[in-house]
Amino acid sequence: MYLIANIIVCVCALIGFIFGGIKFFRPRQALYAQMITLSLGCIAFGRLFTIVSLLTGGNIINNVQIGFLGMIGSLMFFFSSNFGTVDSLLDDRSKAFLKYRLIAFAAPVAVIVMYVLLFLMSDISILWKIQGGVLALFALPASYFNLKHLIFPDVDFGVVRCLRPYNLLALIYTAAIFTECYAMSRDNEVLTLVCCCITGIITVAMMPLIVRGNKKWRT
Amino acid sequence: MENMIYILFICMFVPLLLSLPLIQKASRSVMIFILIGISSALFISEVNGILLQLLGYNTLFVTTNITPATEEITKALPILVYAFVITDNRDKLLTASFAVGIGFALFENTYILVNSVENVSIEWAIIRGFSTALMHGICTAAVGYGMSFVKKKTKLFYCGTFSLLMLAIIYHGIFNMLVQSETLKCFGFLLPASTYIPLIIVLVVSMKNKKKKEKAAKQKKAAVE
Repeated sequence: MYLIANIIVCVCALIGFIFGGIKFFRPRQALYAQMITLSLGCIAFGRLFTIVSLLTGGNIINNVQIGFLGMIGSLMFFFSSNFGTVDSLLDDRSKAFLKYRLIAFAAPVAVIVMYVLLFLMSDISILWKIQGGVLALFALPASYFNLKHLIFPDVDFGVVRCLRPYNLLALIYTAAIFTECYAMSRDNEVLTLVCCCITGIITVAMMPLIVRGNKKWRT
Repeated sequence: MENMIYILFICMFVPLLLSLPLIQKASRSVMIFILIGISSALFISEVNGILLQLLGYNTLFVTTNITPATEEITKALPILVYAFVITDNRDKLLTASFAVGIGFALFENTYILVNSVENVSIEWAIIRGFSTALMHGICTAAVGYGMSFVKKKTKLFYCGTFSLLMLAIIYHGIFNMLVQSETLKCFGFLLPASTYIPLIIVLVVSMKNKKKKEKAAKQKKAAVE
């Protein structure tokens, strides 16, 4: 079941990665789209590692494995796509936007609550508590900017409106991988498969939405 | 044989080092980075030895989960210094990082060859030569690409480089796992080539497009004059 679940995500993310690579890795293309393409690459390679590990008889439940870095890398790319490229265009640090900045903290708070309830307070192995903690650590900044750009008003450039679907998907992705880690810590194969199906749908849908958003923004 | 790794290092490093003053300036920097790559490989072999000892000589676990991280970080450090101190020019960084990767692969391959001289063949050399060199080169070049943002977009540099490092570690881990498996070994040897060939095609096409544009711009300018 774990193998099938990871193959689904790997194939979907790889489709998104190749599509994004063809569309955005050209001169004068949006840098944020390149970051999102690379995040899909991270997801695809992370899952590929897990697949190879499973095929060669590795244990992904009781051992730490670097396929997990794919999740962390994808969250970091999501974070850098918002923080490194778009945020400075939108937020001029004025008081008028203070409430949006404060509301956006709801996402990291939700991540912390999820971590405490699902990992810290449950009777799972210390390995999963640490893995959940590391994932939460990287999900905090990524989810903050995803929510911020989801609720932020469209002021000058019309960028926010175009990126809203992507930010919504990125938030769902964060919740899905968090739940998947929880399911794996409990060795719950069905919940893992469900989470992976959601992750797969998100990763395959992300690039067409970015392409559409990019077109809208430019026209 | 004891100290074989140091003997190999001296035999490879010293002649290349002595050739530096005779090489033209453009090629010299590439040679310096190859030497850095060779030195990184020597350093990391010591670190990996200690880690292997600490983790109870679980070779498969260490080579698929630990060494990809230590090796990629070690290869990235000289490029980081180069990007911070000397230049953040993307082309120069990509060349330097690819050279570090190649130097690293060169030393690693030689050491493996000496260690298992009874089991090697021409096929082994061809496969190992292409796959390892490309894998190390591609992984370091990917991190070098992220470092080109060091001065232009600082925000992007920190998280982008970290994420690219993650990507390189995973890629390296997949390669190590594939080449060590009995049934999936051939995929391991194909993985770097399957990444390198599309990259080269993209590079060649973009260079051709650039030349075309330059030619068209020149013709336009000549027509106006």
